[in-house]
Amino acid sequence: MLTKTLLILLALIGLAVPIAAALGWLGLILQFTESPMPLHRAISDMAWQTSTDFLLVAIPMFVMLGEILLRAGITERMYDGIVKWLGWLPGGLMHSNIGSSALFAATSGSSVATAATIGTVAVPQIAKRGYNEPLFLGTIAAGGTLGILIPPSINLILYGLLTNTSVPELYLAGFIPGFLLAALFMATVVVLCLMRPGWGGDSLSYSWSERFRALPALIPPLGIFLVVVGSIYAGIATPTEAAALGVVAAMILAAFNGKLTLDMMRQAIEGTMRTTAMIMLIIIAAVFLNFVLSIIGLTQALTDFVTGLGWSPMQTMLMIVAVLVLIGCFMETLSMLLTMAPLITPIVVALGFDPVWFGILLMVLLETALITPPIGINLYVVQGIRKAGAMIDVMKGALPFVITMFVMLALLLAFPNLALWLPSLFY
Amino acid sequence: MLETLLSQTRRVSLWLTWIGGTLIVLSAFLVTLEVFLRKIFNVSIGGADEISGYAFGVATAFALSFALFERAHIRVDALMGVIPKRLHALVNFFGLALLIGFAAVIVAMVWNMVGDTLQHGSRSITPMRVPLAIPQIPWLIGWIFFVISGALIALVALKRLFARDSQGVQALIGVKSIDEQIEDESV
Repeated sequence: MLTKTLLILLALIGLAVPIAAALGWLGLILQFTESPMPLHRAISDMAWQTSTDFLLVAIPMFVMLGEILLRAGITERMYDGIVKWLGWLPGGLMHSNIGSSALFAATSGSSVATAATIGTVAVPQIAKRGYNEPLFLGTIAAGGTLGILIPPSINLILYGLLTNTSVPELYLAGFIPGFLLAALFMATVVVLCLMRPGWGGDSLSYSWSERFRALPALIPPLGIFLVVVGSIYAGIATPTEAAALGVVAAMILAAFNGKLTLDMMRQAIEGTMRTTAMIMLIIIAAVFLNFVLSIIGLTQALTDFVTGLGWSPMQTMLMIVAVLVLIGCFMETLSMLLTMAPLITPIVVALGFDPVWFGILLMVLLETALITPPIGINLYVVQGIRKAGAMIDVMKGALPFVITMFVMLALLLAFPNLALWLPSLFY
Repeated sequence: MLETLLSQTRRVSLWLTWIGGTLIVLSAFLVTLEVFLRKIFNVSIGGADEISGYAFGVATAFALSFALFERAHIRVDALMGVIPKRLHALVNFFGLALLIGFAAVIVAMVWNMVGDTLQHGSRSITPMRVPLAIPQIPWLIGWIFFVISGALIALVALKRLFARDSQGVQALIGVKSIDEQIEDESV
């Protein structure tokens, strides 16, 4: 049963069948061959409950927040502002790439949008200031991944939904690892630029008065981040309510910048609804598949199989991480999350690991998947913006950050409290 | 004829998307209002979560067709390079057929569910007691429109295939290129 399921899944995904259809048909095939009950009749109820779930209303809200911010005319000034604060470090603008990506991704949540937006502002600077091109491109590709982990992340909501884990708790857990990873990326740049001084480009220095004058440009994104994340952490709002506050705040910000027009909202709505419809169709299929898998006992069989191997929990965990890194080389993150989380989390919990902690570990693995060749969407996005040169440059430049992500994974494995300490203060 | 019908359907899908997106924007304001009233004035209007849930369901269903026209449904194309080029059209048709087939299964089941709702006059089990037919009927319409659009897209793609217009087929049902994705997600 296990082998059959995996083979069908691989065949459907390999044939480039849309992920929603691949998951849905896998569920339908399994129920017809493995279950005497007409499980598919439950699909209407599942579709309705999922489609109107207040927790998931956060998805279109967060996507819309990002779409509005993207069009609110704040990116360039934010980038320049961060340059003034971080430009003195060895590696100059590369720190600004990471810093602005972290800030932008935190509020927008889309890694493609982040890499594309920051990339467009940053790429022209490579030649102007004499940076090592691959490494510079690597910082954009890697920086764009940060949004998956730094709250408010849509991926954490999906993980929470599929594994029955509390989303606010996940948001608290993602905070320290998210910013730690951003700091580790910067440390990677510093170390590399100290080792190869030619890579760092011209050094930039700014006076403190220039820095303080740049602060207003950083207030809008930081303010939105504080409204959204702060209201959740302070217990004022649920994730969905916080997302709604964020949308309203972003519209006010756009209006303040004179960018709130009917045409802008039309574009933001189209982008939002395109993404939302795509995600929701996959979620409905994943929820149905999940239901079938647990009814036919496959989830249990997989858990029994893995725990029956007699490996220690840590050995099993390392194996899971290795498999997920490998899968991440070929699979896109959303599909990877929605197929893997429901299958693997029960195993992990049976082994005695904390599901909140595993959620964070899984997010770092998804981030890795975004920049590991051959299929790492951020690599292609950065290459796409650059429009010239060889793809291999981007891959080479992203490699140090893949290693940094492995360091982050090791840290999470060695010190689970990096993720669990903050939630433990609240729960 | 078919091509005109297709572009009209696309037009309708855009309108539905705008309507749905507007519902989401309105929900954002409604929920924000609720949070403020609750935290500052300690009054609860109640029901903002339920209403925005329905708005979300209807908006999503309304946008399904648009997402299909935009080829936004994620496909893992890691193996596309290995599959011979002349088979790509076949693979694309297969993917579309499975997507629409799955949606058709959902529509069939939902059809029964909405039928039950109407027959029993079901209401939500919340203080608002909303007659469920109000949100469920437009929701069902969105799903039906999705299946119809998919069938129409398949027909037109087939017609273009026979006309040896492989670019036209790609533009309708192919996997989206990275440049097209960047185009979508940036300003």
